[in-house]
Amino acid sequence: MENSNFPYSSGMTPHQSPMVSPGTLQSFGLGPTPTPVMPPSNSSMYPTTPGAPMTPFSPAPASASEGSGIIPTLQNIVCTVNLGVKLELKKIALHARNAEYNPKRFAAVIMRIRDPRTTALIFSSGKMVCTGAKSEDFAKLAARKYARIIQKLGFAAKFKDFKIQNMVGSCDVKFPIRLEGLVLTHGKFSSYEPELFPGLIYRMLKPRIVLLIFVSGKVVLTGAKVRNEIYEAFENIYPILKGFKKQ
Amino acid sequence: MSAYQLYRNTTLGQCLQESLDELIQMGQITPQLALKVLLQIDKAINNALATRVKSRVSFKGKLNTYRFCDNVWTFVLNTAEFKDVGEIAKVDKVKIVACDGKSADK
Repeated sequence: MENSNFPYSSGMTPHQSPMVSPGTLQSFGLGPTPTPVMPPSNSSMYPTTPGAPMTPFSPAPASASEGSGIIPTLQNIVCTVNLGVKLELKKIALHARNAEYNPKRFAAVIMRIRDPRTTALIFSSGKMVCTGAKSEDFAKLAARKYARIIQKLGFAAKFKDFKIQNMVGSCDVKFPIRLEGLVLTHGKFSSYEPELFPGLIYRMLKPRIVLLIFVSGKVVLTGAKVRNEIYEAFENIYPILKGFKKQ
Repeated sequence: MSAYQLYRNTTLGQCLQESLDELIQMGQITPQLALKVLLQIDKAINNALATRVKSRVSFKGKLNTYRFCDNVWTFVLNTAEFKDVGEIAKVDKVKIVACDGKSADK
């Protein structure tokens, strides 16, 4: 299900980080020097000769603003779509596979498919929420699969106003972080209450992303509408986190 | 006052229904009486399973499909294994229909 207009990922192997094209990184405002695109550190696709260009795309870095070299992996995409027709939830629950419907508790059918592994909430208005996909393409594909199931049950389902509402990514900076220090200097953006939750909640303004930063160095990024926002937020936080590395 | 009619579709329940149908055909009982018999068997089986059965069976398998509607769970398992004390039954496909035990009508 490869969309050739989409430069990022095949979406096939969730563990393989996508190659970010140089055009995207220029929008990060990292300066006039083109930033090299570096593959994740666990792959050895390119020679590591110092001074030699790291990739075919751009020249070797000259300054300290290299970029983190870490690309967050998408873990969850939440999207919505309007099937455009009123639905009979009981009929759907009785005839579709892998469906739950308990109107006393929740007024929607909860349906799941195995590929892409996702869960959908289907409402009688015809609106649907689809969660759990690992990429934008998978989210759209899954939503289409659910729409197809509803169509096969006899409803004139369409695929109106598909929209990705939220994207979650995660990564590891590979060093421990002094969260206490971070909340002292970045008090306006951070909230750290270790007795409530072990992670520091960093509310970045540009892009508007919420990051959960943990002592271990693991970072969760959420609130994005597009993949770039996750990448941008991480590139913004990385130098700050490096400043609070635990020695 | 009514118990789950779940057990009418068991080997025992089906045999009873066939026998009752035969008796109706032969004019020996009325359909209303057959209905009363079925309602009584519902009560009797539900009661017996709830009070007179103590053994437990555990099972595991690969979940093919599930459904929850009208408070009834329906599962289809593949390659399931049922384990009772000393007995193991292996089966390629099993359909499980389950009703809520706690909120059964008194």
